[in-house]
Amino acid sequence: MAGAKNHDYHILPPSAWPLIGSFSALAMAAGGVMWMHGSHVAADQANGGGWIFLMGLAGVLFTFYSWWADVVKEAHAGDHTPVVSLHLRYGMILFIASEVMFFVGWFWAFFDFSLFPVALQVVDGQVENLTGQAGVVAQFPAKGLHVIDAFSLPLLNTLILLCSGTTITWAHHALIHGDRDGLKKGLWLTIILGLLFSGIQAYEYAHAPFAFKGLNYTSAFYMATGFHGFHVIIGTIFLIVCLVRTYKGHFTPRQHFGFEAAAWYWHFVDVVWLFLFIAIYVWGGWGAPVHG
Amino acid sequence: MNILKTAILAFGLMLAPSAAMATPGATAPAAVAANAAAPADAVANAAAPVWPVTPPVAGIGQPVNGAIGIQPQVTKLGEEALWMHDIILMPVMVIISLLVLGLLFWIAARYRAKANPIASKTSHNTAIEVIWTLLPVLILVGIAIPSISLLAKQYKPAPKEAITLKATGNQWNWSYEYPDHGIEFTANMLPEKDEAAPGTAFRTDADGPRLLAADNRIILPVGVPIKLLTTASDVIHSWAMPAFWIKMDAVPGRTNETSFTIEKPGVYFGQCSELCGDKHAYMPIVVEAVSPARFAEWVKFKGGKMPGSEPVAAAVAPAAPAATGATAPVADNAAAPAANATNAATAATGN
Amino acid sequence: MTDIAATPSEFQAHGHDDHHHDADHKPGFFARWFMSTNHKDIGTLYLIFAIFAGIIGGAISGLMRAELAAPGIQYLHGWAELQGGDHLHLWNALITAHGLIMVFFMVMPAMIGGFGNWFVPIMIGAPDMAFPRMNNISFWLLVPAFTMLLGSAFVSGGSGSGSGTGWTVYAPLSTSGSPGPATDMAILSLHLAGASSILGAINFITTIFNMRAPGMTLHKMPLFVWSVLVTAFLLLLSLPVLAAAITMLLTDRNFGTAFFDAAGGGDPVLYQHLFWFFGHPEVYIMILPGFGIVSQIISTFSKKPVFGYLGMAYAMVAIGVVGFVVWAHHMFTTGMSVNTKMYFTAATMVIAVPTGIKIFSWIATMWGGSLSFKTPMMWSLGFIFMFTVGGVTGVLLANGGIDNYMHDTYYVVAHFHYVLSLGAVFSLFAGFYYWFPKMSGKMYNEFLGQLHFWTFFLGVNVLFFPMHFLGLQGMPRRYPDYPDAFAYWNHIASLGYVIMAVSMIFFFVNLIISLAAGRKAGDSPWGEGATTLEWTLSSPPPFHQFETLPKVD
Ligand code: HEA
Ligand code: HEA
Ligand code: CUA
Ligand SMILES: [Cu+2]
Repeated sequence: MAGAKNHDYHILPPSAWPLIGSFSALAMAAGGVMWMHGSHVAADQANGGGWIFLMGLAGVLFTFYSWWADVVKEAHAGDHTPVVSLHLRYGMILFIASEVMFFVGWFWAFFDFSLFPVALQVVDGQVENLTGQAGVVAQFPAKGLHVIDAFSLPLLNTLILLCSGTTITWAHHALIHGDRDGLKKGLWLTIILGLLFSGIQAYEYAHAPFAFKGLNYTSAFYMATGFHGFHVIIGTIFLIVCLVRTYKGHFTPRQHFGFEAAAWYWHFVDVVWLFLFIAIYVWGGWGAPVHG
Repeated sequence: MNILKTAILAFGLMLAPSAAMATPGATAPAAVAANAAAPADAVANAAAPVWPVTPPVAGIGQPVNGAIGIQPQVTKLGEEALWMHDIILMPVMVIISLLVLGLLFWIAARYRAKANPIASKTSHNTAIEVIWTLLPVLILVGIAIPSISLLAKQYKPAPKEAITLKATGNQWNWSYEYPDHGIEFTANMLPEKDEAAPGTAFRTDADGPRLLAADNRIILPVGVPIKLLTTASDVIHSWAMPAFWIKMDAVPGRTNETSFTIEKPGVYFGQCSELCGDKHAYMPIVVEAVSPARFAEWVKFKGGKMPGSEPVAAAVAPAAPAATGATAPVADNAAAPAANATNAATAATGN
Repeated sequence: MTDIAATPSEFQAHGHDDHHHDADHKPGFFARWFMSTNHKDIGTLYLIFAIFAGIIGGAISGLMRAELAAPGIQYLHGWAELQGGDHLHLWNALITAHGLIMVFFMVMPAMIGGFGNWFVPIMIGAPDMAFPRMNNISFWLLVPAFTMLLGSAFVSGGSGSGSGTGWTVYAPLSTSGSPGPATDMAILSLHLAGASSILGAINFITTIFNMRAPGMTLHKMPLFVWSVLVTAFLLLLSLPVLAAAITMLLTDRNFGTAFFDAAGGGDPVLYQHLFWFFGHPEVYIMILPGFGIVSQIISTFSKKPVFGYLGMAYAMVAIGVVGFVVWAHHMFTTGMSVNTKMYFTAATMVIAVPTGIKIFSWIATMWGGSLSFKTPMMWSLGFIFMFTVGGVTGVLLANGGIDNYMHDTYYVVAHFHYVLSLGAVFSLFAGFYYWFPKMSGKMYNEFLGQLHFWTFFLGVNVLFFPMHFLGLQGMPRRYPDYPDAFAYWNHIASLGYVIMAVSMIFFFVNLIISLAAGRKAGDSPWGEGATTLEWTLSSPPPFHQFETLPKVD
């Protein structure tokens, strides 16, 4: 019996990544706190927190890289039997489910503000709370706030993401049919569309008619779209990794879970955007003066 | 022993003042004597007229050492909720707990290995499973019906003639506003004698128990609906008054509303009931319920006006301090009104 | 699966890895304990961690009970001097640390990380977890999380050291009301612990769905596995919402957003919704594995199969589902509308029905059985009764109109310690004694076990029962000092703590002497009543069990 493994599960050798990753996360967290408090408790209290944070971040990224490099190696070694690749599928779906709940939190905040508005006014970027004053009406977004026109850049971004949803599907089909060229083209296009989206989003932020601080609308807007943007970047990196792996010939028509996971993730990011677009840009800004 | 002590104390205190409180118009010469007996405070007394402090009655409107039940209720809704707790919820809870305990004992005796060496293999019985699903459902419906109706009553908006009291929680005191009467003041906890800065007010037994007494009481009329508004200026606090079955969070940026009608005159104590930082335990709430006539006098005394009447000058001295006479024999109490006058004159906003 | 053109050499799992898989070949010390990919070793790490955290959380509660033993401030001035801050702030820091440590670093790691890791794979006949390496980061993330939380006690959180927000971290006390890095550290500690639990949840769900041995259908799974499955779903779906909420705290604190700042139109009550949307499922996260443990034990020591197995399993599913739609019963005094309050009253009470099914099914399992009252069984019996007491006071609190009075009083503190410190902790000890022989290969000392149970039972009841009285008399929570009229029962409660503390000495003595010199345990020390797969293995089990999968019929 000893030495004979009569099942298809993946029994792993010990690994250092969890330990390294965890302590890098500790450095990130501790450094982050020092960083935030070094600067605005007192300006002269710079304490190196930023560097500790960045070192932690580097450690975390290094862990991600090495860990997944191991996973890829194991895939090549044939450890990803059908049941193990089913594990990976479950894992990815469940992870996406948890991400959905994360966005539920941000949407919750947004709908709380929009459905139960407060009488606010923005004058020259200064927020005034008019609650309790005679004759003022509660409204959302605040009176005097100019919003981003949903039907210009955001609409364009919607089309870009929808488009990228089709190109990733194209790539997938090509992969399944053994058409490596189609796979590359589809991936390249998806990545370019993803980068384009991020670029437009950055432009939109830079030219937004409102700042980040001090107001319910802007808080919800920037944090929700910001976390979405962050996920787009992660998704794009994920796709780039897939592209590199394609060039290295990693995927076969039968086994290409890395690609599939990236595609699922991309669709998830896409759907979140649709909700953001409809809820925040179109519905949330309805009736508010639009930034020219 | 503690229970005994409290009981005796409560009994003693109950004798006189509860009767006296019911007759607010009565003159009480003892009160004058009491003030005279505290010459050190005479200056302060002259500078700012004093509203006499009615001492609380032990066992009413405040906790009792060693007691195990809910505080006596002095609002209709409080009585109803208390009834629901005592007559519906407590019996249900006790019966269910004892049922489970009884079954456990029975099983332990009957089915211990010695008494029942061979275990049965039964693992299903649809009938009993249905019963123990449906029975709790019925019990819960039985609880839910009065519970929902209690809620509906608690939410009945205050009638038009209700008096509005607005409480704002601050770190760490309460400020009050009577918008209908144009009265505003802040209430801080009265420190103990040995903790108070020299020359400032400290607590006496007439003010109330340690940690519960405040330098300014909320005076409210009995029998008149009160509309309570709560809000806060910094973090969340909660305005809680056990004897009224009222607890309403005071949240920055929003105004919460509830209402109650006090049925019995007396002094009632509550405490801030939402963690609000360091001195969360040190922002008591004191309501003194008096007759409507007496309330009108207080409004006048405070420089406010009764809705619909002309404004009255603030300087009118209190016509007839009531009831305090009943407690004059207690030396400590005698100094109380004067000490509070100092405080009323100096208390501004801070803590 | 190499090149797209290459002949697929996929699925060659058996070929090359024999040297790792000698069932009893253990890696060296460092690799084994710091780089582990073995569910049992990781489970052991979790248990050690939980005991360590339990000692700290329990010691903090000892400080709290000492302070509360009499009215007035007794010791806080002295302690605060040591720590260099305000004594009242110190109180808030103590209760916050106590609540967070007990919830996130004692109960959850012990139940899910400890027993879940140890026994879920074995009970379903699997060789390990689905993601053994990820399993290890779930554990190791807790270490930085705990470090951050403990570290927060030594940095400024306002007028003193430590975060004084309460375990609920309500805004705006936790934002504008708590300057200083301590609260940021506490928040990031929760982020890390949350990430750990989400990864763990993914791992358990995948393991349970995909790795059941042939014949082990969902409807044949031991109830402990069911309980962990439901718990994992609760974690997966509720924790990310907490993550969003505390991220908002972080940005409000440090980057000027206005989620909870009323001046900018933010809403402090929003935080409470987000928190309790997580927080209520969280309380079931803490009790469901306990339900599972108790089910196994009752069946074992009654020598009978669980009564109404399917009802038991689906009752837990129902508790989990309904648990997601009752959260605002923690917010009855925040000024919500009457309809909302009625809804949350009714929905909350619904949970008593599936919970009742569980209580009665345990009783029915024992009915007709042949009972032996070994230590694990005693803890389970204690659990059933004490949890019922805590449960029925929960039903009382569920009545929105009644909760106006009890909310934020010691009545609530009594309620949740009955379900936690007498519910969850009883089931933890039950499981610990039950599986100790399996995990260590040694028997514990039965006399000390019984002594521990009876003294602990007495102690915690003396400790927590009077809190009902205090609450009914109106004593608010989170007070370091209270009016003298609350002195009597507080004094009794603190005496109860002393009894409980003595009983914990019996536990630790038992633990040490049993580990050092316990009688050797057989494979199945509890006899014929123990039918789950762990009892088919040696004690302790081989480093890798089920190299050949068991068949279940
Ligand atoms: C393990 C943790 C746990 C568990 C299982 C529960 C279970 C329950 N809890 Fe509790 N609760 C907490 C932990 C827990 N709670 C905590 C930590 C807090 C405070 C948080 C804070 O503010 O810090 C809290 C607070 C809390 C509140 C808010 C109080 C307040 O702040 O004002 C409420 C209100 O509804 C409540 C209700 C309930 C109910 C109805 C149940 C039910 O699930 C109970 C069901 C069980 C039974 C009813 C007993 C068995 C059933 C039978 C024998 C059948 C027959 C019974 C009937 C017909 C009634 N809980
Ligand atoms: C699981 C949760 C849990 C547990 C077990 C406990 C246990 C105890 N708690 Fe509580 N407590 C909370 C969760 C818990 N608590 C929470 C959430 C709050 C609210 C905080 C807030 O307001 O923000 C609170 C608040 C709270 C207060 C109110 C403070 C206040 O409002 O001012 C008090 C006061 O006496 C108190 C006391 C105690 C005591 C004496 C114990 C004793 O029972 C402790 C004895 C120790 C143990 C029972 C642990 C032993 C366990 C082990 C050593 C590990 C064993 C492990 C294995 C076997 C694997 N706690
Ligand atoms: Cu104010 Cu607590
Ligand atoms: Cu709850």
